[in-house]
Amino acid sequence: MYRTLIFLLFIGVANAHQMSPTYPKWSDSYIDDLSVTRVRVFNKREDVEYYEIGVFDKDMRPIPFVTQYDLRGIKYNNYAMFDVYINKKYKQDAVYVCSESKLLDIKVAVSSKICSKFKD
Amino acid sequence: MIKELTLVGIVAITTYGGSKSAFALDVPISASVTGSCIISTETNGTYGQPNAYTLTTAAADGGQMPITRVDVTLASAYKVKFTVPNDFSSSPSLNDVVTFTGDTEVSAVSDATNMADYETDKVEVSTYVDEYDLSATGSTWFKHTSVATNGGSRAFPSGNYTAYVTAECIAL
Repeated sequence: MYRTLIFLLFIGVANAHQMSPTYPKWSDSYIDDLSVTRVRVFNKREDVEYYEIGVFDKDMRPIPFVTQYDLRGIKYNNYAMFDVYINKKYKQDAVYVCSESKLLDIKVAVSSKICSKFKD
Repeated sequence: MIKELTLVGIVAITTYGGSKSAFALDVPISASVTGSCIISTETNGTYGQPNAYTLTTAAADGGQMPITRVDVTLASAYKVKFTVPNDFSSSPSLNDVVTFTGDTEVSAVSDATNMADYETDKVEVSTYVDEYDLSATGSTWFKHTSVATNGGSRAFPSGNYTAYVTAECIAL
C-alpha cells in the first residue's frame, strides 16, 4: 500500500530571500517619542508571497513596534521597504529586526528568516 | 554678423576655460555598503520510503536531500541557524508517535581557504538545530537530512506529508 503514497518534503525552485541593511540604525521620527528605521526586503522566492516583520530583543523575544504592514505581500522579483517605528523606551532593548517568509503553500518547505541587528 | 558670432564664441571658450581652472573640483564618488544575507533554496527535497514505517531524504532510499545556499556580503557579520524537521507541518492523522532525526552539513563553499572550517566549527545547539558563523564573504551550500520513523514499526497512513527546514540568518 505504501507504494501508492507520495511523500513530499521540499518542493519549489531555486529562490531567494534577502534583507538589508545588516546593521540598521534608529533615527528620530516626526512623531514624538517614536524612533524609526527602514529595512529593505527583496523577494526572489516564487513560492512566497508574504513576509512578516518583527522586532526582537537579544533573546529573540518580541518587542512592541509599529509598521504600516507587519505582514506584507511582496511580488516575485520585487522589493519592499518597511518603515519600522518603536517607542523610544523600547529602543535600548531592541536588538534585531527580522523578516520571515510566510509559507502559505503547504507544499513549500523551506522557511527563511533574516535578522538585521541594531548596534550602538 | 560673423564678427559678432566669432566674438561670442571666443568669450564662451574663454569663460569655459576659466571656469575649468578656477573651479577645479574633486568629484566625490560615494557609496554606502550596507551588506546583506540571502537565503536560497538550491535543491528541493523529497522523502523516499524504504519501508512502510520510514521516510528518509537519503538518496539510496529514493529520497532527495534539500540544499540551501546562503550568501553574505560582509565577513563575520552573520551566523546562520538551521532547524531540521522535528514534526510534520501537515500530514494525515497519524497512528503512532513519529520520531525524527536529522542533520545539517556544509556541502560546498565558494572560498575553500576561508570557509574550510565551517563544518568543524559548527555549533550543535540541539538535536535539530545547527549554527554556523559565516566568517567569510561568499556562498555556502548546506545539505539537510531528515528521517521520520513511525512508532511500533507501524505503516504511515496514506496521504501527503510535509515538513519544514527553517533557515535563519542572524546579524552578529
